Amino acid sequence: MSGPSRKLLVFLHVALKQRAFESELQAALPGLEVRAVGRLGDFERGLEDGQDGVLTLPDLLASHGLAGKLQGMRGGSPEERYSLVGAGAVPDPARVAAVGALDLLGRDGTNAFVYALLGAKPKVERVTKFEDLLPLIQMQKVDAILLPTRLLADLQSASRLTLNQRELAKLVKLPAVASAGAGGSDVLAAVARLPAKVSRTLGVDEWR
Amino acid sequence: MALNRRSFLLGLPLVAGGLGCSSGSGTAVTHARSPGRLASAVSPGKPAVLVCMPDTKQTREVWSGLKDELAGHFTLIAVDVDGDRGGDVLARAMAELHPVCVVLMNNPTVFAYARYQATAGLAAYPPAIVVMTSFLDRRPTAIAGATGISYEVPLITVVTNLRKLMSSPVERVGVIRRMPLRSFVTHQAELARREQIGVIEQPVSLEPNAAELKYALREVKQHCDAIWVLNDDRLLSERLIADGWLPGLNERPYKPAIVGAASLVSPGQSFGTFAVLPDHGALGVQTANRIFDLADQNFKLTDHDEVDSPLSTTTTVDLVQARARFALRQDALEQVDHILE
Repeated sequence: MSGPSRKLLVFLHVALKQRAFESELQAALPGLEVRAVGRLGDFERGLEDGQDGVLTLPDLLASHGLAGKLQGMRGGSPEERYSLVGAGAVPDPARVAAVGALDLLGRDGTNAFVYALLGAKPKVERVTKFEDLLPLIQMQKVDAILLPTRLLADLQSASRLTLNQRELAKLVKLPAVASAGAGGSDVLAAVARLPAKVSRTLGVDEWR
Repeated sequence: MALNRRSFLLGLPLVAGGLGCSSGSGTAVTHARSPGRLASAVSPGKPAVLVCMPDTKQTREVWSGLKDELAGHFTLIAVDVDGDRGGDVLARAMAELHPVCVVLMNNPTVFAYARYQATAGLAAYPPAIVVMTSFLDRRPTAIAGATGISYEVPLITVVTNLRKLMSSPVERVGVIRRMPLRSFVTHQAELARREQIGVIEQPVSLEPNAAELKYALREVKQHCDAIWVLNDDRLLSERLIADGWLPGLNERPYKPAIVGAASLVSPGQSFGTFAVLPDHGALGVQTANRIFDLADQNFKLTDHDEVDSPLSTTTTVDLVQARARFALRQDALEQVDHILE
C-alpha cells in the first residue's frame, strides 16, 4: 500500500471497551486508519467524513447503500445464532413483554430486527454498548436480553445472576466489510489478513 | 481541580459558543434573535421538545445523544435558562414552541422550571424528564408532571464494573453516609444483593469533621473489600478531602475507592482508584427513549413512569494507584474507558 492511510470505519458491539477494541484493531491493521464507534450517530457521521472501507453487520451496510465484499465466516457459515437470555426461567420469545437489545440499526431498524428474530413484538429497550445489557436484567427493566450466543459467556462472567438462554432459530449474518472509497480494495485486503485472535473478537474465524 | 460536583451541577459555562445544531453537523449554530437559545435541530412539521440546559461539555454530550435519536421525529430546541434572564427565556420558549415534552438538565434548571410553573398558572404542563440532578430517586415533587433518570450510578453497576477489573473478590462494599442519604443507600444495598454484594454502612454526623471521617474510614475499611464514595457534597469539601479522605485512604489496609466524579480520580492525589460515571451520550439516548415511550402514551405520565437509573457508564482508573496497591485482572484495561497514569 502506498499513499495516505486508508480509512476503515468499524461499527460493531464487542465484549470490550471501544477504546480497547479500536486499539486492538489499529495494532492489527497498521496500514489503515481505524475508527471504531459504538453509536449509530457516530457511524453515520463517520460515513459523512468519508471512508475507504466499512466493517459492520450486512443489514446496516445495506441500509446505507453499501454491499459487503468480504464476509465474515465462522465454522464455514456466514451466519450465527442469537439467544434470548433472562435471569431465572428460560425466556419464551412469544411471551416476553420487554427485551433489551444492542442498537445497531436505530430505533425502527432495531425494533424490526428484534421482532423478526422473536416472531413477536415486545417493547424493545435499546442500549449502545454490550456491557449495558446486563444492567437491564439486574435492574429488572426487561424480561430478557437479545445477543449473539457467542457473547453469552462474557455476559455470564460479569454476573452472579443465573442466566438462562433460549437460542433462536433465525440466523443473523456475521460482520462484513464493504468498500466505500478509492482505497477500498486495500482495506479489504488488510482485513482479509487480520490475525485470527482479532477476528475472533468479532465472532469470525475466516473472511471470504 | 474541582473537589466536588457542586460546581458542575451548578453548570459551569464553557468558552465556545453553542452546540452542534443539525443532524450530521458538528458545527454550532446559535440564533442571535433568540436570547438564551443554545442550539436546535428542526424537523419541520414535527412536535417540539424543549431542552433546558447549561452549556457544558457533559450537557453537550447528552444533547448529542438526544439529537441523534430524536432528529426527524421531533424538533429539538435547547435553551439556557440559568441566570437573571432565565425565567424570560423559559417562558418565551414555552409560549413559542408549545413543546410536547421538556427535558431539564441539572438542579438550577429544575428550579427555573418550577418557578415558571408557579407563575404561569396553566391548567396543564407537558411532561418533564429530569436528568443530571443530585440523588433523584423518585419523581420530583417540585414540578408538576415530571419523571427522570437518576444521575447516580447504581451500586450494583459500580461493583459489577469493579469486579471486571480486580483479581481479588469484591464481596462487601463499605460506604460512609450521613443520615439524609440513609434511604438512598438502603435502596442501593437492596439492589446490590441481587449480585451478592454486601454493603457495610458507616454512619457519620450531619456535619462531620475530618477526625470523624478519618475514624469512620478506618472502621469501615476493616470490614470491606472496597469503599464506595457517595457524591455527598457535605462529605467532599476541600477540608474533608485533604484532612479526612486522603489520610484515611492512603494508609493500610488499602482498599480501592470508587468515586462518582471524574475530578476525584487523579494520579497525583490518590483519592479515587476508579471513577464510574454515567456515559453522557448514552444518557441522551436513554432520555430520548423515555420521550419515545411518552409519545406512545400521548405524552401522559402514568404511575409506571418512575425514575430510572442510568444504564450506561464510563470507567476511569488511576492506574498508578491501582497497580501499586491492588491486583488487577489481566484483561482489566480492556474494560476501562479512561486510563490516568
